Amino acid sequence: MIVVLGLIGGGVAAGLFGSLLGLGGGILIVPLLTLGFGLPLLTAVGVSLVCVIVTSGASAGVYLERRVANLRLGMTLELFTAIGALVGGLVAFLVPARFLELLFAGLLAYVALTMARRREPEKEPEVETGDLGPATIDDSTTARLSGPGYRVRRIPLGVVGSVFAGVVSALLGIGGGLVKVPVMHVVMGVPLRVATATSNLMIGITASASAIIYLLRGGIDPYVAGPTAIGVFLGATLGSRTAHRIDIRILRGLFVAILLYTGWQMLLRGLS
Amino acid sequence: MNGDGALPGPDADVPSVVVLPADDLERNVARLLTVGTYASVAILGVGTAVMLASGISPLAGAPRFDLQRLVDDLGHLRPAGFLWLGLIAVVATPAGRVVASLIGYLRRGERLMAVIAVLILAVIALSVGLSIELEA
Repeated sequence: MIVVLGLIGGGVAAGLFGSLLGLGGGILIVPLLTLGFGLPLLTAVGVSLVCVIVTSGASAGVYLERRVANLRLGMTLELFTAIGALVGGLVAFLVPARFLELLFAGLLAYVALTMARRREPEKEPEVETGDLGPATIDDSTTARLSGPGYRVRRIPLGVVGSVFAGVVSALLGIGGGLVKVPVMHVVMGVPLRVATATSNLMIGITASASAIIYLLRGGIDPYVAGPTAIGVFLGATLGSRTAHRIDIRILRGLFVAILLYTGWQMLLRGLS
Repeated sequence: MNGDGALPGPDADVPSVVVLPADDLERNVARLLTVGTYASVAILGVGTAVMLASGISPLAGAPRFDLQRLVDDLGHLRPAGFLWLGLIAVVATPAGRVVASLIGYLRRGERLMAVIAVLILAVIALSVGLSIELEA
């Protein structure tokens, strides 16, 4: 009973933090399950992938309804994130857990430092929201993948970045938005808001391509995954509804401290 | 920093402006994602409630996935049955979204996008096939 409530509560906290700070729950689920509940890293990654799919499903639906996520671009890139996730999912069962723990510790430190240095984003010009009809105007692939008010560029680089995002997602149990959003925004010239929404859409396929491998190879424990996924879903929903009442600066400082602490613990675990 | 599966938050650089309404394909895909996600969470909720009622500790170690056993577990209202079913629904929902997109693009005559959708489904099928092969 206590453990179930602990998993749900931990999931709520991870989902809430993730939602308030614009991160998925994945970055916190793996440390929670490994350091907090003593689960093997591979099981924690498998459960985290399930949580990531659940939280992205609800938000991606909203983004599509609002027509901000670019379905064509998302589907094209997720073909390559799925290939990366397939490779990463197979590799995860071959590499030593210690390697993944050290990799995760590095990821936590990177995210913590990035958040600590983060400033409020400058107001981005609104994306023009005219007719989504480039496919009928111009038949070239680039035009098909572009959206109203922007034109995608450097598609081959986007493909390479997508494969890498898929591998990282499968190895570490995160959605991969840390890679996908910068690739789409900085490299491919997609507006940040569209890149974020499209990344959310892509996470489902990216994570499920590797989650299937974890599920069929015994890397997902349903007794742990069930309560944790429910908690993350509730936390993320709660976060999206209460976000306007919370001082994000204080929360961000707390989050950075948690990330650095868990990163240090993960580093010690990997080195031990 | 964002786009990692989180629901929209104030710091998420997410769209805050409601733009034009989605077309039929996007609306159908959005509905499928939302319904699939809520249904999955509901099934996981039933499984967790049954697990609590059965007094099973989540850290006791669950049985591995077995399709035949899943049916048996569901028939006997065992928590593992509901939890595995919920997890399958979670994992299958994004693939269902791709199938819906495939149908939509075929209806529109967008062959390139239809081919991409088929290739995504092929990668998913390959994941399933390789996993089964490796386990065997």
